Amino acid sequence: MSFQSPRRIRLIAGNTFLEAVRQRFFNSVLLIALALIASSTFFQQFDFGSSELKFIADFGFGALFFFGSILAITVTTQLFFNEMENRTALTMLAKPVHKFDFLAGKLLGVQLLMLAFTSLLSLVLLGILFWRETGLMGQMGPDAFSEGRMVRYMDILTFGFLQWLKFGLLSAVTLFVASFSNTNIYTIIVSFCILVVCQLQYIAREAYADMAPGPARLLVQGLGLIFPNFQLFNVGDQLLLTSQEGLPAVTVLQISLYACVYIVAFLLLAHLSFRRREI
Amino acid sequence: MAESAISIRNVTKDFPVGISGKKLRAVDGLVLEVRDNEIFGLLGPNGSGKSTTIKIVLGLLEPSHGECAIFGKPSRSVAARQRVGFLPESPYFYRYLSGRELVSYYARLCGVNKDKLDAAVDSVIELVGMQEAAHRRVGTYSKGMLQRIGLAQAIVHDPRLIILDEPTAGVDPLGAAAIADIVRELKARGKTILLSSHLLAQIEGLCDRVAILHRGKLVREGRIDELVTDPEADCLVVEGLDPAGHAAVQQVIEAKGGRLLRIEKPRLSLDAFFLKEVHQREREHAVVSADQEDYP
Repeated sequence: MSFQSPRRIRLIAGNTFLEAVRQRFFNSVLLIALALIASSTFFQQFDFGSSELKFIADFGFGALFFFGSILAITVTTQLFFNEMENRTALTMLAKPVHKFDFLAGKLLGVQLLMLAFTSLLSLVLLGILFWRETGLMGQMGPDAFSEGRMVRYMDILTFGFLQWLKFGLLSAVTLFVASFSNTNIYTIIVSFCILVVCQLQYIAREAYADMAPGPARLLVQGLGLIFPNFQLFNVGDQLLLTSQEGLPAVTVLQISLYACVYIVAFLLLAHLSFRRREI
Repeated sequence: MAESAISIRNVTKDFPVGISGKKLRAVDGLVLEVRDNEIFGLLGPNGSGKSTTIKIVLGLLEPSHGECAIFGKPSRSVAARQRVGFLPESPYFYRYLSGRELVSYYARLCGVNKDKLDAAVDSVIELVGMQEAAHRRVGTYSKGMLQRIGLAQAIVHDPRLIILDEPTAGVDPLGAAAIADIVRELKARGKTILLSSHLLAQIEGLCDRVAILHRGKLVREGRIDELVTDPEADCLVVEGLDPAGHAAVQQVIEAKGGRLLRIEKPRLSLDAFFLKEVHQREREHAVVSADQEDYP
């Protein structure tokens, strides 16, 4: 297999991003997610202090995960099938463009979109937390904040980065499903099922830890390897407050590497399946 | 001997139908050579295997049997597509790009250098006559304009072989004539053109050679003159003969051992008649407009 042209991949990614940001769906989801995060201050629990800030952060992280997952799956599916159904893929692949370049370009384009989405939501969340914490500092006096601010703001960006990698993984899985599927509805449904499996994958891991060695344990272990463990990315609790021990940099690096390996693996699987597909 | 632009050797393509293991044969043992610098027409009714053949030539489909090469390179290789331009049937392009951005995007995909990009894009946009609309969004284009901008993206990287799938489908006769002129110009520039079309009158006036496919098989192939000319008969076109003159001519023909089969008035094709009339009105309109400008 040949990985031909980073330049072509970049071009396709740029065009994919341009197409995606013009979609009403993306803009609607982005606005709803932003509005939800901004409104989190109205749903606060009224016991001031760290619990209020924690509530706002949890609300924001939840919105990021929920809307980000929807966006990663639907936008990847939509952009892939738009090319197939409008036959723009036919025009593109009749040029000296490898099918791998096409897939990698699509994935990179979606990743750029998710980067914009994740950055924007993370920054808004960070801004709201900073504003609320400043307000609380004024209300509660300096004694309550004797050790400085409660929220580790830089770690919110780290959390956003890890979520972005998770969305990349989800997009790669969706692209793999799309590579052999004939309809976008099928792709979306299967990808959401895989998302649920990946979210609950830790149950399988816990199960095989208690199982006796044998074929059943091997099977569960194999499934645990095939489906990435999305719980690894749920590190918001550890990252948020200064009162808790933060996440070591090496762990962040390990999680990032874990995501990258799975992204490349699913992209290669998508290529294998797409290679012989009739355009 | 010059290298063939396209060489199709005993190509068969089967598609699986459902899960029963049955197969549908779209192309059946096709053997075809398209020579360098000719306009070659691929004809056939719907379902005759024209589009499948084009996809095999472009390397988008793998033949079940046989081989296909473009200028000697296997058509499956990406390198073979470096010198190929393709306009699909009823093209659909990214609606949010302007015509110029679209052509530029495809040029960059084909590896046109940055320093040559603007000149290449301007040149093909001028060739297809889209200068005025090049800055408009593709989503606002008419069918004819889409075909022309599609043609521009197909030739922007200066390919040696250009494949046009129904380039005049849905285009009015004026637009179709303009596209035919562009195709002739491309041939004059040394390009090879493979053309698939249902408009037989246009193919007849444009192509050097044609191949007729039916149910995936090659039925006939050759120069149009050879295929449609009756070698046993001659046609005399005369002017100013009265009935007595007709009788005299007939007598001479019979005296020389021939036989007069029919007497009929020469006819223009409807295409040619339509274009002649429209062009005449356009000229008249241009003269009137010029007069009005002279005497405001």
